[in-house]
Amino acid sequence: MSEIVEVIVDKRSYNAEKGSLLIDLLIKEKIKVPYFCYHEALGADGNCRMCMVEIEGQKRPQIACDTFVKEGMEVHSTGENIEKVRTNILELELINHPVDCPTCDQAGECSLQDFYMDYGLHDSKIAIPEKVKGLKKVDLGSNVMLDQERCVLCARCTRFTDKITHTHELGIIGRGDHARVSTMPGRKLDNPYAMNVVDLCPVGALTSKDFRFAQRVWFLQTVDSICHGCAKGCNIYIDHNKIKYQDDVIYRFRPRRNDDVNGFFICDEGRLSYKNLQENRQETTLLNGNEISEDEAIQEAMNFMQKYENNITIVIDANLFTEEIDAILEFAKNINAKVCSPLAVYIDENFKDDMLKSSNRAANSKTVERLNINTNEPNLSGMIINFNHPQTFKSEEQIHFLTHARNEQGLIFPIAAFTENAGTLTNEDSITQKCEKAVDKNSPAPTILAYLQKVQV
Amino acid sequence: MRECKIVSRKFELENSHTLEVAKANDGYRTLAKMAEYSPLEMIEIIQESNLRGKGGGGAPAGDKWALMPQNSDKPSFLAVNCDESEPGTFKDRKIISKDPHLLIEGILLTCYAIRAKHAYIYIRGEYKQYQGILQSAIDEAYEAGILDACDITVHRGAGAYICGEKSALLESMEGKRGHPRLKPKQKEPEWFFDNPTLVNNVETIASVPFIIENGANAYKSYGTEKSSGTLLFAMSGHVARPGVYESEFGISMMEYINHFGGGIKNGKRLKAVIPGGASTGVITAKEAETVTLDYESLLSIGSALGTGGMIIMDEDTCMVSALKNLLEFYHEESCGQCTPCREGTGWVDKLVAKILNKRGTKEDIDKLLEIADTMNGKTICVFAPSVSTVIVSFIKRFRDEFEEAL
Repeated sequence: MSEIVEVIVDKRSYNAEKGSLLIDLLIKEKIKVPYFCYHEALGADGNCRMCMVEIEGQKRPQIACDTFVKEGMEVHSTGENIEKVRTNILELELINHPVDCPTCDQAGECSLQDFYMDYGLHDSKIAIPEKVKGLKKVDLGSNVMLDQERCVLCARCTRFTDKITHTHELGIIGRGDHARVSTMPGRKLDNPYAMNVVDLCPVGALTSKDFRFAQRVWFLQTVDSICHGCAKGCNIYIDHNKIKYQDDVIYRFRPRRNDDVNGFFICDEGRLSYKNLQENRQETTLLNGNEISEDEAIQEAMNFMQKYENNITIVIDANLFTEEIDAILEFAKNINAKVCSPLAVYIDENFKDDMLKSSNRAANSKTVERLNINTNEPNLSGMIINFNHPQTFKSEEQIHFLTHARNEQGLIFPIAAFTENAGTLTNEDSITQKCEKAVDKNSPAPTILAYLQKVQV
Repeated sequence: MRECKIVSRKFELENSHTLEVAKANDGYRTLAKMAEYSPLEMIEIIQESNLRGKGGGGAPAGDKWALMPQNSDKPSFLAVNCDESEPGTFKDRKIISKDPHLLIEGILLTCYAIRAKHAYIYIRGEYKQYQGILQSAIDEAYEAGILDACDITVHRGAGAYICGEKSALLESMEGKRGHPRLKPKQKEPEWFFDNPTLVNNVETIASVPFIIENGANAYKSYGTEKSSGTLLFAMSGHVARPGVYESEFGISMMEYINHFGGGIKNGKRLKAVIPGGASTGVITAKEAETVTLDYESLLSIGSALGTGGMIIMDEDTCMVSALKNLLEFYHEESCGQCTPCREGTGWVDKLVAKILNKRGTKEDIDKLLEIADTMNGKTICVFAPSVSTVIVSFIKRFRDEFEEAL
């Protein structure tokens, strides 16, 4: 453990680790400090010069991202002087900014806008023809679009490709006010984590091709959830919106910071997995391909279960919430069925990398293992009740509970996807995490729990 | 005026850049001193001599040498700063083209003192023709076995002014963009690929052989108490005989201009002098009458000695265009890392252009001073503060000309 020392900020006392960055303390204690270039995952670069604070004994204002905490340090983060410095630097940041907020996707979650409301509120003093022009839409690759005019040259994106992915696709070319972000000659932004630069970008310079012009961010509702792409359990925000007279739609997944799991980032595949969740859904109740009512289907299911009594195998998808798996096990006990959850199908060695991606693509397989559920293939005689397991089994009779439509025989019930339901998951590192319910569909598919209450034997 | 030729002794000789001429004129004689002094003793001599860095900053060179570790498991390096890009400064190219062997001799002594086995000379991209002379001198030295114990590599820059800043120079040498690094909080060497490195100007290194040969006191006998020794002062602009002339510190500026430069060109009157490369504040003719050429004197009137490359401006000079000329340079050369510099240099350039085009207002002049204030002391390196100094010095001393131009 390093030494904890006392630091005074704006006449209040705080404890901080000796030698840690002052800006980390300010961020942690929610003391207002503007900054573009600093990022906890990328460290200090010291180029934006916005995080100026006054430190007793120092002649000039200092940047908090390059100030190390010392015992008894006295810091002023407010006051006329420091606010003037911030205002002046912000004014410089804005002189060549196009101020095209009405057409900018970042509007509403833009640091430049926020700081302007805090420190600016002035008219531009530079005539528009004198502004430095840049390219407005550069396709960097991997769904990332660059607008050079909006860029504040904080270099977060280039530092991400240098320090985090080590792929070095991005760099800054040119000098002075003609400096701009670009890909290295002959290269494209191309790595499995590329879209994180969109979140890192504090302004609207880097936007996601996938999200551009889809929604104004202030209309979006944000819910905490967990990505179901693999067993890593990356924490995400689900941004969704229900436009009047339309259905509730997810517009994007964004990484949610969790230092124990995914840090600040998620992979692009996980980020874009929201699309599959909304496409090709199982929406109707089917018996051998013919639509029937839910009540009829439940009656049919009970008949099947009677017919195959003592010869039923339940197959569980290892992506289901723990609560659902618990209820299914209880149900299996009641109807005296065997239970299995074959896990081999989830293993994808090609997906694995040394950052976040796991070769195990089941979000809750740890729970399957913890509950000692049989992970071998089911016996194909008798009837199989499949709770959304991705494999197809050729048994005599089948009942399916599916989120997504697929070519299956027997009785098929539509069920809610994880975004339409709440529950917990345990990731590969045995960390149990909660997903909140995000989407409220106009005609929601029932949850597994709702079905199991109805199908009591 | 006392003649003092410490660095420029061989400049006038025919073929002075060759090993043959160098050796015939006592070149490489001080290498024998390596047997006499230990590395630490050599550093002490340099500290004792009060040799100050001649790249513009004027920091004590010996103290910088003393920061180098004497027993490190990492290799130490010397980087010789020959990225001479400061407008008005052209002394280093004189050394590398007229007496490159003096520089090599200085490098060998310095490397011995700081226990480096490899020295790099970072040469300005535009100095291609001088690089050829320097490289052939190094090749000659290799052939003669002089560089058996220490390698010298010439690294050519790509033409960025900022690469003369020592940490940007090292970044550039590491193959990155020439961006100055955040300054360390305590005194420590520079780092080249994480190895301790000393960065010194060409002229500083070229002064080392004289000090080692003749001792610290011989060097201190030139100049003033605080500004010891000599400097390759230079003159350009409206002066009869522009060029590089070595002189000791502390002589009067006007005496220097009249003695070496032959006074103002075409018998005109002096209006202003930029004393030490473009980044030092301009001074008026009246101030030029009073100052002496040393760090302290120029500092006391709110300017700086810098590299000693004087830009002389006569009575016909338009100070607004002179400032515009400088600001265009800074606008072009800002590395673009820190916001105040990146955006500020462009803005002040545009504002002065506006004044020059008779579209300016009184507010623009005040705005210039305000931007200069924002650019001062709020960036990683001293580029923006220099621009700030230049703007403030021009407006403070010649405000009437700016107001007339509105």
